[in-house]
Amino acid sequence: MKKFSLVEFSVDHPKTVVILAILVTLLFLTQFPKVKTDTNPKNMLPPTSAIRMWNDEVEKTFNLYEDTLVLGIKNVKGVLNPGTLGKVGRITEAILKIKGVAGRDVTSFSTIDNVSAEAGMLKVGPLMATIPATTAELAALEETLFGNPLFVDRIISQDGKTTAVYVPLEKGANGKEIADAIRQIAKDEQGEEQFYVAGDPVARDTFGAEMFRLMAVFAPIAGMVMLLVRYLMFRDLFLSVTLMMDAMLSIIWSMGLLIALGFPVHIMSSMAPVFLMAIATDSMHIFNEFYFRFREKKDKRTAIIETMAAVRRPVQNTALATAAGFAVLMFMNIVPVQVFGGVVAFGTVMLRLLSFSFIPAMFTFVSEKKLEKIAHSEDMHSGATSVFLQKLAAIGVNHSRVTLGVGIVLALLAIVGISRITVNNNMVEWFKKGSEVRVADSVMNQALGGTSLGYLVAVADRDDAIKTPEAMNAIEGLQRHLETLPMVGKTFSVADYLKRINLVLHDNDPKFNVIPDNKETIGQYLFLFGMSAKPADLDNVVDYPFRRANIWVQLKTWDATAMESVIAAVTKYQDDKALPLTFKPAGTAYFNLVWNHEVLWDMVRGFIIALVVVFAILALDFRSIRWALIGYTPLLFTILLIYGTIGFAGKNFDMPISVLSCLSLGMAVDFAIHFIGRLRQRLQETRGEPSEGHLAAALFWTAARPGKGIVRNALLFAASFAVMILAPLTPYVTVGAFIVSMMLLSAVATIICLPALIIFFQGWLPKGE
Amino acid sequence: MRKIILLTLLLLAAVTTGVLAATPEEIVRKSQAVFLYSGNDFKARVMMKLISANGQERLREMTMLRLNTGPIGGDQKYFIYFFQPADVKDMTFMVHKYAARDDDRWLFMPAVNMVRRIAMQDKAASFVGSDFTYEDVSGRDLTDDTHELAREESVDGKACYVIKSTPKAGTGYAYKLAWIDKSTFLPLKEEYLDRDGAAIRAFSADEVKEIKGVATITRRTMKNLKSGHRTEVSYKSTDYNIGLDAGLFTERFLKQPPKKWIE
Repeated sequence: MKKFSLVEFSVDHPKTVVILAILVTLLFLTQFPKVKTDTNPKNMLPPTSAIRMWNDEVEKTFNLYEDTLVLGIKNVKGVLNPGTLGKVGRITEAILKIKGVAGRDVTSFSTIDNVSAEAGMLKVGPLMATIPATTAELAALEETLFGNPLFVDRIISQDGKTTAVYVPLEKGANGKEIADAIRQIAKDEQGEEQFYVAGDPVARDTFGAEMFRLMAVFAPIAGMVMLLVRYLMFRDLFLSVTLMMDAMLSIIWSMGLLIALGFPVHIMSSMAPVFLMAIATDSMHIFNEFYFRFREKKDKRTAIIETMAAVRRPVQNTALATAAGFAVLMFMNIVPVQVFGGVVAFGTVMLRLLSFSFIPAMFTFVSEKKLEKIAHSEDMHSGATSVFLQKLAAIGVNHSRVTLGVGIVLALLAIVGISRITVNNNMVEWFKKGSEVRVADSVMNQALGGTSLGYLVAVADRDDAIKTPEAMNAIEGLQRHLETLPMVGKTFSVADYLKRINLVLHDNDPKFNVIPDNKETIGQYLFLFGMSAKPADLDNVVDYPFRRANIWVQLKTWDATAMESVIAAVTKYQDDKALPLTFKPAGTAYFNLVWNHEVLWDMVRGFIIALVVVFAILALDFRSIRWALIGYTPLLFTILLIYGTIGFAGKNFDMPISVLSCLSLGMAVDFAIHFIGRLRQRLQETRGEPSEGHLAAALFWTAARPGKGIVRNALLFAASFAVMILAPLTPYVTVGAFIVSMMLLSAVATIICLPALIIFFQGWLPKGE
Repeated sequence: MRKIILLTLLLLAAVTTGVLAATPEEIVRKSQAVFLYSGNDFKARVMMKLISANGQERLREMTMLRLNTGPIGGDQKYFIYFFQPADVKDMTFMVHKYAARDDDRWLFMPAVNMVRRIAMQDKAASFVGSDFTYEDVSGRDLTDDTHELAREESVDGKACYVIKSTPKAGTGYAYKLAWIDKSTFLPLKEEYLDRDGAAIRAFSADEVKEIKGVATITRRTMKNLKSGHRTEVSYKSTDYNIGLDAGLFTERFLKQPPKKWIE
C-alpha cells in the first residue's frame, strides 16, 4: 500500500510535491547545455566492432579518406567550353585553400592525373594544366576525356554536361563548414552552370541540423496541439497544462539524465521525447476517471483518492508493460538502441511516479466549482462520445461471430502483406524529395557513376601476387561482371590503370588495351605508374606488398540492398570461377548495409523478447493466461494490420519502422490492460446483479467509461503526431503516420474486437477473479 | 639617452656581423655545392625505404650515378639502375637536368624491351615514388627564391645558419627553413611550411660521413607531415671522382648499362 500513501501524501502536501518536482526538473535542466549530438551512423556500432576495425584497416592500407564531398557542376550546354572550364579551374584552386581539405588528393579536371603519349613521349600529369582557349585545345581535351575510361562517369558525364570535383577531408575536419565554404565559392562563380554539393558528410550534417530543428520545433508544436486537444476535451486550461507538464517533466528528466551520463543525442534518442509524450497520454485515464468520480462523490479529496485506487492497477501495469518493452532494448547489441531503450524505460517509470504524486497534487489546486462545471458534461449516459462508444461495443457484443470473422480475414490479408515486406534502408531517402540533399544526389547519380561508394578488397595468399596476370584478370573480370548490374554505376581498380599504361605505351594501339601477359611487365608498368603519378593514385588501389587490391564500386543508389546484391554477385562470380583471390566488401556502402541489418535485427529481436515479456506481464496482471491471450489479441491484430499495410504499400522495412514496432507494442497493450482491467473490476462490483445480460452490460459500461479514456487517449495521440507528418525528414514523417494509424486502429480494435472476443469466449474465460 | 646608446651599439653589432658573415645567397650556394654538386662525379648504392603512415614498407634498391656537366647549380646527368623490387631488376632511368629548361627523362623497361621518354611535369613531383622530389635530389635554382638569414641555431650541438627561402612563384609550400651546418655547409634539417607556418614536409640528415674528404650525408629521411608517409634513404659504397664519362648517359646504355659502373 506504499503507492496509496504516496497519493495521500501528495494530496495533503501538494505544494511540497510540486516544488520538489520543479527542483528536480531544474537540476536536470542544468545538464542541457552539455548536449552533444552524434549523427554519424558509424557510431551506431562501437569502434571495436569487426566491421569498423576492418573498414579502418582498409582505409589505412589504401590511404583512403573517410569522408569525401563531391561538387557537381552542370551546364546544359556542356561543360567543355572555356567559360565553364575556367570556373572549374578557379573553383578547384579555391577549394584547395580551404582548411581541412586534403589538398593533395582533390580530384578535378585541373588536378586529376592523365596518362597519355604524345609523339612517343609518355606523359603523366594533370589533365587540364591550363584552361583550353582555342577550339583545337578544347577538342583535344574532349578527346582525352572520352578516350580514357578512367575519366568517363567519374569526372565527366557521358553527355558531357556534368563534371565533378571530389574533395577529400582531413580527419576531424567539419564536413558542414567545408560544404558551406564550397557553396560560397560556387556562388561567386554564378552563371549558366548549376552547382550541387553531395556526399556522405553533407547528408549527415544536414540531418544533424534538421534533427535539432525537429526536436526544437516539432516536439513543442506536437505538445501545443496536445494541449489544445486536451483543452477542448476538459475545458480547463490549468488541468490541460498539468497533463502536459507531466510529459514535459519526464522528458526533461530523461533527456537530462542521458546528457548527464555523457551520451550524445543520436537519431534514435532524439525520438525519445516524442515517444515519452505519447506514453504520457496514459495519464488521460486518471483525468477521465477523476471527472466521473467527482461527479459521483462531489468531494475533491475523496474523488482523487478513489480515482487513484481505481486506476492504480491498470496505470501501473501499462507503465510496467511499456517500460519492460523498452527496457529489453537495453540488452541489445547496438549502443544507441540500448541508450534509447534505457531513456524511454526510465522516462516511463518517471511518468508513473508523477502520475501518483504530481498529478494528484495538481488536482488539489483546482476549485471545486470549476470541477463541477466540467464534470457535468462527463455523463456516460448522455455524453455523445459515450453513446457512440457503446454503439461501437454493441457491434462486438451483438455480432461477435461476424466481428471475429472480419478480424480473421483482415489478419490473414495482413499476413500476405507482411510476406511482401522488403528489408532495406536508404539514408538519402531520409530526406524528402526536392530537398537539396536529395536533388544533388539524384542529379549526380544520373550524370556520373554514383554517389554511394563501396569497396571490394581482393586478397591474395602471398605478397606480390596481385602483380600476376591471373590476379589482374580476375579483378578485371569481376569489375566487368559487376558493371552489368543495374545499380552499379562505375568500378575502377589497379587493372584499369594497368590497361591504360599498356595502351598508352603502345601508342594507343587498341590491341594493347588488355592486361599484360606476364608478371614482369605488370610489375614494371606499375612501377612506372608509381614513379610518375600522384602517390594516392596507386595507393588507393593496391597495398604496399601487392597482396591486396582495392576495387572501387560506385553505386547509383544508397539502398542498403544495392551493396547486398553486389556482394551476392561477387560470391557467385567467385564460386563459378576458380579465382586466385578472395574478395571482401568494405567502405561506406558496406558499412551502411551492416549497421542497418544490425540495428534492424536488434530491434526485431528486442520486439520478440518484448512480446514475451508483455505477455507475461498481462498474465500476471490478469492472473490468468486466458485473459492475457484475449488482451493480447487486439495488440497483435493492430501490429499485423500495420505491417501488412506497409508490405502492401511497398514501403521498406527500415530502421525507423523497426524502432516503431517497440512503441506500438508498448502503446497498444495499454488499451487492452485498461479495458480488461476495468471490465473485470466492474464485473466484481456488480456481481449481485442478475446474470442475464450481466456481461454485456459490463462491457457497455467499460466501453462508455474507460473506453472514453481510451478514445481520448488515441485521439490526443493521433492529433499531436499528425503534426509530424509535416516534418522535413522522412523518418519523422513515418513516425507520425505510424502512430496516428496505430492509435486509431488499436483503439477501434480494443472497443470492437475485445467485446466480441470476450462474448465469444465467455464460457472459456475464468469467471470472477 | 642610455637607450639610444644601446640601440646604436646593437645596430653596429648587427651591421658588423652582416659584413663579416656570408650573405644568405652565398650560404645557400655553398650548401648546394657540397650537398648536390660534390665532386666531378658521384656514385652510390642507394637503399630507399618508402614507409606509409601505418608502417607498410616498400623497398627500392638502385645504383645512382651523377655527372656534373655545368657549374655549381648548373646542368647535371643522372643514371639510375634498379635492383629492387625484383620485378623491375635491370630497369634503368636517366635524367638530364638543365638549369635553364625542362629536364629530359628516359626510362627503360626490360620486360617489354622498351625505352620511353617521359615528359617532365612539375619539378616538385615525386622522385621515383618517394617523398623526395626531383628538386630535392638535384636542387632548386638559386634565383627562384629569396633567401634570408632567419637566425642562428645549433642542431645536435652543431652551429647552424637558419636560412629562410621564400619561392618567388607558386609552389606547394610557402617557404622553407634550412638549418645549414656552419662548418660543412650541409643542411642538417629542413622544413617546408605552409602559409600558416605549419610544417608540411621535413628533411633530416641522419648520418654524415667523410668520403674522399667530402662531407656526405649517408642517411637521410624526408617525411610528409600531412600524410604521415616517409622515405628513408641510405648510401652504401659512396664514391666521388671515379671518372664517369658523358657517353654513359645516353639512350644506348640504358638498355645495357656497363657492369663496372652499376655493381
